Amino acid sequence: MSASTAPAQAGRALRAPARGTLLGYLMLLPAVAVIVLLVIVPMAVIARQSFALSDPLLGGDVGGFTWANYTKLLDPVYAKTMGYSLAMAALNAVVCLVVGYAVAFYIATRPASRQPVLLMLVIIPFLTDFLVRSFAWITLLGSGGPYVKLARLLGFDASSLVPSQFAVVMSLLYAFLPVAVFPIYAAMRSIDPSLREAAADLGAGWWQTHRRVYIPLSASGIGSSVMLTFVPTLGVFVIPVLLGGGKDPLVGNLIVTLFTEFRNEPLGAAMSMVVLILMLLSVAVVAGLLRLLSNRKAA
Amino acid sequence: MDTVMDRVVSWFARLVFVFLYIPIIAVVVYSFNASEVSYRFTGLTTRWYGELFHDERLLETLRTSAIVGLLAGLAATAIGFLTAFALVRYRVRGRAFFLGAILIPLIVPEIVLGVSLLTIFSTAGIPNGLLTMVLGHIVITLPLATLVPMGAMAALDPSLSEAATDLGATGWITFRRVLFPLLRPSILAAFLLSFTTSFSNIVISTFTSGVGTTTLPLRIYSTLKTGLTPELNALGTLLVLFTLLVIALVGVQQMRRILASTN
Repeated sequence: MSASTAPAQAGRALRAPARGTLLGYLMLLPAVAVIVLLVIVPMAVIARQSFALSDPLLGGDVGGFTWANYTKLLDPVYAKTMGYSLAMAALNAVVCLVVGYAVAFYIATRPASRQPVLLMLVIIPFLTDFLVRSFAWITLLGSGGPYVKLARLLGFDASSLVPSQFAVVMSLLYAFLPVAVFPIYAAMRSIDPSLREAAADLGAGWWQTHRRVYIPLSASGIGSSVMLTFVPTLGVFVIPVLLGGGKDPLVGNLIVTLFTEFRNEPLGAAMSMVVLILMLLSVAVVAGLLRLLSNRKAA
Repeated sequence: MDTVMDRVVSWFARLVFVFLYIPIIAVVVYSFNASEVSYRFTGLTTRWYGELFHDERLLETLRTSAIVGLLAGLAATAIGFLTAFALVRYRVRGRAFFLGAILIPLIVPEIVLGVSLLTIFSTAGIPNGLLTMVLGHIVITLPLATLVPMGAMAALDPSLSEAATDLGATGWITFRRVLFPLLRPSILAAFLLSFTTSFSNIVISTFTSGVGTTTLPLRIYSTLKTGLTPELNALGTLLVLFTLLVIALVGVQQMRRILASTN
């Protein structure tokens, strides 16, 4: 409630006399220039390049028009990476959602005075350098590290988990968990705690309370949470190399390799376009599900 | 009224908080490890910090990261503040459209932004270097640098600028004497968060770096490919301290408002 009225109020207050609108447009000019020149035009160029021919010897874009770059992505080498990336991104989104939901619910149901502290504890790892967060797992899961020692102490015959798919999944969860918590918490914060009591009074069990009260009321946060974890996972290229040993690359790795090593820019551009389309699709799916849910609520 | 399930979820969440800090603590602890081999713990030493400060190549990348972060952070903060002010204060047509446009870099996968920038710079004949990297970092920090002051402007008391006008202050004086001082913490927050984002960026940097503009994350990444060294743990510890410093400077209140406004 208050979140949606506050900006409107401030808008009225700051906007005082409606004059100098020209000045307003002038102030927007630098940002518009940045977005147009450094985001929109470059993406249009990439879209065009994804249909260009590439010189098989020298690499690079030699113009022309072909669908070959897109059909080449169906080649098992690339299709396999694509499928693996999608599976990994979906897995990461689901794991982050489940764990993030639990954490967000925990924070949102603590006394108001303790919530900022708990939120802060989630923010600190989130703002810690991405590489530091990733390489810490090499120490923890690597040979002779705490994981192996602990497992041996307990009598298991454990060996280094780096590189392994488990290490990749683990560090993806670690990297994206805070991003999954924030939107769900933001949505849950405005849920009246008395609804929970009311649900209990009406005989709803734990699961029913969540299914009928908490999940529908925090649906927008859940949607953002899924989008903020699914799409960025596709672009990750550090974690698969450091913790997965580079054997199972994600789309992100492939795009970097195509551009910087193979110099096959049209193929890299086509792959980037596919990632962009997947992003748009996931936005559409999430928006559609949300609309469906709010319609059901209204009905 | 807590059910068994509530208690299970609570304990699970507490474990997740532990999980969030295990790697950070590991980096700090292992940075004092006397052993050359990163995983065998043989005793305490501060040797790696000493080596860190004598690693000329590393210090060079640190300088580059600081310069890029400073330039990109300042530019993004200035542009972001102007944008936020225009969107909140003036009756510009297509407010939602402009705001949406500013947020594009948040939604488009960074890797796509990176390859797009690489392509446009090479098409335009601009060699990769300091300029291209700063421009790339402005793109990814601009949404944050706009949202932070916008959130602060939304939280301002509506009666303040009315009172200033009633007391005879002109638009410029109201801005300089009333609005700007109140918005200063959010401007600092926008800058610090932009600087941090730029400083730790690796995706955009990979595509926009040129000869002589290797940043710290790029250097850490290439070192890591050959193996983790104790020196990197020492560096990681300093980066953790840097994060805590930024959070302390930005402040908890500000941080909460930022998180609320990004939704």
